[in-house]
Amino acid sequence: MLQILIQGLLLSGLYALIAMGFTLIFSVGRVLNLAYGTYLLAGGYTYFYFAQQLGLPKFAGVGLAAVVGAAMGLAKFQAIVKPLKGNHVAVEISTLILAVVVQAGIIFRFGDSSKILLPIVPGVGRVADIAIPYSNLIAAIVSWVILIALYVFARSTHIGRAMRAVSMDPKGAALSGVDTDRVNAFTWGISGTLGAVAGVFFASYTQLYPGMWVAPLIIAVAVVIVGGIGSIFGTLIVAHIVGFMEIITSSLIAPELRGVFTMILIIGVLIARPHGLFGREEP
Amino acid sequence: MSCLTVTDLNAFYGRAQALFNVSIRATKGEIIALIGANGAGKSTFFDSVMGLARATGTVQVAGTDVLGRKPATIVAHGVGYAPERFNLFPYMSVRDTLLVGAYTARGDIERNLGIVHSLFPRLKEREGQEISTQSGGERQMVSLGRALMTSPQVLLVDEPTIGLAPKVCIEIAGVLRRLRDEFGLTIVIAEQNANFALSLAERVYVLESGRVKAEGTAAELSENEAFAEAYFGH
Repeated sequence: MLQILIQGLLLSGLYALIAMGFTLIFSVGRVLNLAYGTYLLAGGYTYFYFAQQLGLPKFAGVGLAAVVGAAMGLAKFQAIVKPLKGNHVAVEISTLILAVVVQAGIIFRFGDSSKILLPIVPGVGRVADIAIPYSNLIAAIVSWVILIALYVFARSTHIGRAMRAVSMDPKGAALSGVDTDRVNAFTWGISGTLGAVAGVFFASYTQLYPGMWVAPLIIAVAVVIVGGIGSIFGTLIVAHIVGFMEIITSSLIAPELRGVFTMILIIGVLIARPHGLFGREEP
Repeated sequence: MSCLTVTDLNAFYGRAQALFNVSIRATKGEIIALIGANGAGKSTFFDSVMGLARATGTVQVAGTDVLGRKPATIVAHGVGYAPERFNLFPYMSVRDTLLVGAYTARGDIERNLGIVHSLFPRLKEREGQEISTQSGGERQMVSLGRALMTSPQVLLVDEPTIGLAPKVCIEIAGVLRRLRDEFGLTIVIAEQNANFALSLAERVYVLESGRVKAEGTAAELSENEAFAEAYFGH
């Protein structure tokens, strides 16, 4: 039981970080960014290239992954989302195509075989005979620190309040003097950063391979749909529900069914509470 | 000195033209009113001035043409707008909503908050309350307060009395007069309620089907038979 609790907490922190960048874009820009998983992909490979192939310090590798993620987010906003403003179907199709293009680029540059990321922090600790890889512990702690910082940022800074305002009423935000395009661009940059950093930890938790963008996308979609649009609190809670469900399923039932209950949960919530467990209906 | 000068404003929604060569002028410390029925073009006029609708012509604020600029730039040039539907942030507190209004006027936050709280003490009392739980009158106060937090020279107010109790309308009228008299604001209101507009404004423009059909002081328009017939039925 303790093992499930510890593993669940570690995995859930990571899932919350994965989902947060997706939630931001969905809330502020009302865009279903189907290329979100490519931030994780790019983050993982950037870290692999700089920290493992070139031998740069690991934390520099994480930093560079964050920079690449931010640049990808900004570029995607400027090149696709802004020109296609308001045409949600076109944006979603374009982002999905972009994901495939990024995957092809990764295969071209790094090949299609899986890569093992060396742990960011090597070693294993023990709590009551339960092994806790430091790398996973660091991933969970970093996730929590980033999420708390994001919450404080959204509540207590001008740009954070502007992001919340744009998510609730873009016209009202514009009439308040908020440059909604800039806020959206900033949000895409933050989303890319969060996704890329999550990608480093996710790849070290699993494996690094060109198709790695799909699983995190499904996790992010699940957390946002079940949690509800625009709810950081909901994202945190549901990331833990999904994380624990996966750990419990793979530990007590069968590892092959790991993601099945998440899918069932999504369908159930869509039917019973379309705006999510913690989201609120549009007034 | 003219604070807001709009010349030959034409506005479009797609291919449909909604305003036709509308020209108005407001001097510093003056209240003017646009009156007209639903669909006359009052809100479109404000949306065009604020950069929210496609328009041609000129919109000068203190001598600078702002037409075609982004809403955020126009706000930074000193135009505040309290729209008819408020466009508030339903799950934000009153205080945070006012602070969003200060986005381009961060140096004036304390002064502007002081002004807003002196005009609407209820907003101070309920600064932690979420907008979605407020009454229509309270939302109008927040909407005006948010516009004032932008440090405007010109304040545009769309249908300030719509759906509000008479007592609240009197309160809003008193606030608009104070803004003119104590703070020297130039105020443009759009109203269907001609009595309210004539009691408040120095000059009135009558809009019909996107065109200015008449203009004059409240006294002049009250004596205009066609106007009196259309708006007061006598």
